[in-house]
Formats: sequence, structure tokens, C-alpha cells
Amino acid sequence: MSEKKEARSVSRRTVIASAAFVPLSALTSAAQSVRSVFSPAQRRTLEAFVDRLVPKDELGPGAVECGAVDYIDRAMAEYLAAEKPSFLEGLAAVDAFATKAHGAALAELSPEKRDEVLTAMDNNTATGFPTARNYFNRVRRLTLEGMFSDPYYGGNKNFAGWDLIRYPGPRRAVAPEEQKMGVPIKPYRRSAYGGDHGH
Amino acid sequence: MAINLKPVDVAVVGLGAAGGVAVLPLSRAGLKVAGIEAGTWMDPNKFPADEMFNNVRGLVTTGTKVKGEIPTIRNGPDSPTRRGTAHPMMNAIGGTSIHYHAQSWRFNPWDFKARSEATKRYGASSIPKGTTLEDWPLTYDDLEPYYDLIEHEVGVAGKAGNILGKIDPKGNIFEGPRKREYPMPPLRDTDFTGLMTSAAKKLGWHPYRNPAAINSQPYRGRAACAYHGYCDRGGCHVSAKNSTAVSTIPEAMKTKNFKIFDMAHVTRVVAGDNGKVTGVLYIRSGKEYFQPAKVVLIASYTYENNRLLLLSKSKPYPKGLSNNHGQVGKHYFGHWDAQAGAGVSALFPFDINTWYGAIAQGVVVDDWADDNFDHSGLGFIGGACLHVYHEKHPIGSAAMGTYGRAPAWGSKWKAFVRENAGRSTSAYLQTTTFPYENTYLDLDPDVKDPLGDRVIRITQGPKENEPRAAAYAEAKMEEWFRAAGAIEVQRSGGGVGPGVSTHAFGGTRMGDNPDTNVVDKWGFSHEAPNLGILGGSVMGTNGARNPTQTLQALAWRTADHLVKNWKSIA
Repeated sequence: MSEKKEARSVSRRTVIASAAFVPLSALTSAAQSVRSVFSPAQRRTLEAFVDRLVPKDELGPGAVECGAVDYIDRAMAEYLAAEKPSFLEGLAAVDAFATKAHGAALAELSPEKRDEVLTAMDNNTATGFPTARNYFNRVRRLTLEGMFSDPYYGGNKNFAGWDLIRYPGPRRAVAPEEQKMGVPIKPYRRSAYGGDHGH
Repeated sequence: MAINLKPVDVAVVGLGAAGGVAVLPLSRAGLKVAGIEAGTWMDPNKFPADEMFNNVRGLVTTGTKVKGEIPTIRNGPDSPTRRGTAHPMMNAIGGTSIHYHAQSWRFNPWDFKARSEATKRYGASSIPKGTTLEDWPLTYDDLEPYYDLIEHEVGVAGKAGNILGKIDPKGNIFEGPRKREYPMPPLRDTDFTGLMTSAAKKLGWHPYRNPAAINSQPYRGRAACAYHGYCDRGGCHVSAKNSTAVSTIPEAMKTKNFKIFDMAHVTRVVAGDNGKVTGVLYIRSGKEYFQPAKVVLIASYTYENNRLLLLSKSKPYPKGLSNNHGQVGKHYFGHWDAQAGAGVSALFPFDINTWYGAIAQGVVVDDWADDNFDHSGLGFIGGACLHVYHEKHPIGSAAMGTYGRAPAWGSKWKAFVRENAGRSTSAYLQTTTFPYENTYLDLDPDVKDPLGDRVIRITQGPKENEPRAAAYAEAKMEEWFRAAGAIEVQRSGGGVGPGVSTHAFGGTRMGDNPDTNVVDKWGFSHEAPNLGILGGSVMGTNGARNPTQTLQALAWRTADHLVKNWKSIA
């Protein structure tokens, strides 16, 4: 497990953000070395999507800042690899529907228009999907996993997801005081796998 | 050709909750026992406090057998068949007792004779149409000594409500009489269990702390529960959950009469021309072995017990082992409401802090279970035990419903879960479910495991008694939550039938009549005299509660019967 952790210590966002400064051939090999399943365009679409599901606001970071997209990227490369083709087709369908309904890909739209696209999917009125609502629900579910899972899996950066819902964190033993009502429990910002895993 | 192994007295197929118990009395009696298990040992140090690992991805398992034999399911013979998405059980030494909730109950005496009791109290018309329900061939009192053995040998924490007829309202006043107190007190009280206990008492009900096969204090050299909140579908990192891997199996190993064959996938039980079984075939690391045995006890999960019999065809058993009466797979049922979170959830206007602890750290009301209340005019028999509990995980909590108070995404949702993820909980209402003619198991004609053997197909049909009982219990549960101060309560309105379930029963039912039952009252086949069957597949009713302690008591009883009648059975 520690070997895997090493390989993941560089976040994909960093690689992609710095890509503009390296030759195209190096970019390709760098992207492959962290095995991102998303093209930059696909990543922008997914970020535009999850950012509306859980936006950054006065309550704190949103899904993008929590690393939900990094979690999904890693899951699609590994544990959910079998789902990758249909997931990518769904992202293409999101942009196709956004373009049809509002004239541009999701990431190019205003937050209000993006919400209209997501609402149409949630209501199952969006066209071009096998079932728009199923895809919406799947992205929402994976976003929740990315926000609220152990940071070991690449999301929940700086424990922002757990802080949001006031989950005090996994620990090996829990004292009677920590099962009381009305007594704030001190958050224990640790991964179950050791270390803070904060990025 | 299969490699022939040294003969043993008893081959036990599967070392889970049932087989892991039976090996102890057998090996203590001096019989040479081979435990043949599809999984292997799990290291408690590698059980993580991780919802993704345990609950989302279901990685607490060893071996791959279970992944290849996920049953298919259809709603009636004319409906399309679909494959279950995952198998709810696991392969390991200790089996699913590694990651179960460890709720460890005795059934109510009524469960053993529901048909005759309901007929007596409400008339023959109260028996649901289409049910194949029979009274058990044994009573609660027959099983009591074995319940007692399990509570002490496995280790169960709880509070007695009826010791030899003396009622103690701190325990379950509706339970059958027991010989003695539990060996450990219940898991620790919390503010939440206190809140729910007071609310139930206010309603005039009889709440009690549910029993659990979890150490509330150090027990037989094992640690007490650490209450860390990753018990559900997780292994215990301090071995306080009394799976058979830490309790009866290590004790059996001390006798030197018990040998484990791990990572062994049993494919067939072999029968001779005289109708007696001769041993089992299994595959391990690509090689096939034959383990000869004087007696075979099959102790895999309900789906796999049925499957192994149906696959084991021979000259004396052309329709599958012990199936000459066509009863294997019949009288199959699951727990109504036991799956998919259908039931009742509630929102409180304050933090209830149920993050930590264990599902088995809860409070139960039995006033609306079994036949503990008058069913006249209600249109159903049976009921549900109402169970509220600790242990919540972050992803599951964030995925909560919003009770119509907020949308399911966006900034308003975010504000809602910030406030309420720690204020919501749900109740577990296990509802009495009966066997019916329209609900059964057979082999799927198309879907096979990686070895080419067909998997189990579940056929289920509509029921009336069960959704009525569940809806009634849900209304009671709402009353309880409201009395405790809940500001929102959501009900499913009748629950859902089980899919591929962790509470699967029947298919090799126990009963005196060989025309309607596969095994006799001791758990031995009516057809193959040296074949015994252990586990939920022998049960004819399921109570309103988790079945593990009952199937463990039955397993011990079957093993005990074998020891006492060795010469005539072997």
C-alpha cells in the first residue's frame, strides 16, 4: 500500500496546471505517469459539474477544492476501471446537451446555466443520455465519495469534507465522553492509514 | 483425477458462523474433523476504520468463491432475471461472522410454532394465503440449552429479561425463559440510548439494550469493544467482536482433532450407490482433491448450501443430493425490510452524536414483534422488532435524504448536511417473513461461476402479510422517534422485499415430514443419513431479528446429536 501512496503524492491538478510550460511530448508522458483517465477537456467538464453539486461558499471549500475530481480520476483508473468507458461517454453527453440547450460546453456556461443543465439531468428531461438521471445520480454519488471518504483515496483534502459535516474522524478507540450529546468532540484529522494525507 | 486425501470422521464445508461453531463439540468429542473453507485467516491488524474499504467496496473478504456465485433474481417465473450486484457474504475462516453486526438474539418461543399459535389465537384464516409455514419440529425450550452454550462459548453481552420465569424489565420481558444471565452486561449506555429508552418508557413500552456477540468487558482473554464505529461490514481490529475465527475455531484447534483446509472451493458432495455420502470434492490452487469422510456437514451460506446440493447429482440423487422429494430450494425466504435501508429515518433538532459505537450498541422495543400484541383485526400476524443504534459513517451520512427541507445539491444542500448529518438516524425494523409457494431457489439456467457451475436463482412473488406488518411497525417507530423529540420522520410505508440478502433462510428446511422438509429435527437429511446441514437454510421461520445465534445454537445441537449417535449415523 505504501508504494501506491508514493505514486500518488503528486496531485494530477499540479501536473495539468504546470503542463503549459513543458513540451507536448513531455506533457503526454507526464499525464500517463499519473494515469489520469481524463483529457483536460473532460476534466474541465467534470469540475464544472461537481462544482455546482457542492460549490465553494461561505461554509468552506466545494467538491473541486476537496479533491472530488481527483478521487473520481483515481477510482476510474483503478477500482472502477470497468465503469470508465460509460463514465466518459456520460461526460461527452453532458457537453453535447449543454451545447444543444445553451450553445456551449458545460464549463463555458455561467453558474446559472450550468445549474439549468444539471437540473434537467436530475429531472431526467435532458436528452442524449441512456438515462440522464442515472448519470446525474452517479456523478453525485461519486462526488460524495470523493468529498467524504478517507483522504487516502485522493479526495477530502485537508479533511474539509469531514469538517463540513462535523464528522470527528476515525480513531482506534472511542471514550465514553466521545459518545455524549451536546459535548463538542475534538476533530481528529487523521487518515485511518496513518498520517494526515492532507494535500 | 482428484487427489485422494486421508479419510476423516467429519468433513465440515464452510467455517463461518455455523460450521465454525459445530467443529468445537465434534473435535472435543474426539472425532477427527476436516474444516474445508473457501477463504483463509484474516489479520485483525489489517481491518481498517474505513467506510470505503468496508461498506462502499466490500473488501473485507478473502478468496474469490463468493464473487463468482452471486445469485440471480426474478419477480416471478415470467419476469426477467437480473444478477445481484454483489454477494452480501464473505469468504474467510470465521466467514461472515467477521463482518456482521454481531446482533446475537434468541428467537421468541412463538417463532417455533407460529402456525399453531396463530391458528389457536386468531383462527385458521389468519394464516397468510400461499404460505408453506409449518411449526418447527422443536420448541424454544428444546433449543434453550444450546442458546445458553453459544452465549457463553462464543461470548454474548446482554441483559436477561426472563430467568426461569422471573421477569426483569431491564431485559426483554417478552423473551422465553432462560437458565441464567448473559456472561457479560450489554454494550455501554450512551446519551442516545438513554434518550430512546426514556422515550419508549414514556409510551408505556418495554425497551431493552439489545444483545451482542461483542465483548462489553474483557472476555476469555479477548479485549473489550473500542466503540470506534467501523463494526458494520468491518472486521474488529481488537478482536472484541466474537466471530467464530476468534472464539470457537481456536478452541477447536486446541483439541488437535481439527484440521483446516483453507482456500478450498468445494464443488460437489459425493454419494455412493447406497445413498450415503462418502466425502467432498474441492479445488485448491487448480488441483482437485477428494476428502473422504464418514459424515459430511454442509455449513455454507443459504444460497450455497442449496446450490451445492442441487449441483451434487448422482445415481441415487438424480435431481441433486437429498432432493428426491423435490424440496431443495423450496420454502426460501428473506427478511422483509432487512435490506436497502427501507424503513424509518428521523431528524432531531440537536446533535445526537451516533457516529461512533456499533450497530449492536442500541435499544430495542419488542412490543410490536412476534405475537407480543393482539393482532385481532389487523390483517397480519408477526411483526417487527424496532431497533435504533449507533455507528454512522461520513459518506452514508452525507447521502442522507433531506426530508423536503433542502434540495439534493448546491449551496442549500451543503448548509443542510452541515447542520444535519449528525442529527439524523434510522431504525432497523426486521419483520417476520414467512415461506411461500411463490418464493424459491433453483439453479439459474444461464449464469455460471468461473468453474462452469450454475449459480442460484431466486424467484420471489408478491406477499400481503409482510408489507402490512412492516407498515404497522413503521407507524410505531415514528411514534417512538417523535416521543424522543424528532422533528422529521420518513417512512417507507411497508418496506421492501429482500433481494440477495444477508438474511436468507430455507431451501433445506427442517421438519418431521420428508415430503415438505429436507432435514429432520436434528439437522440430518431425510434421504442421505450421514449428511447434516447447518445454517439459515434449515430454518422455517426467521423471527423479527438477526438469525445468527439461532443458527449457531442449531449447529451446536446437530453436532451434539452426531456425537451422541455417532455409530448409527456414521
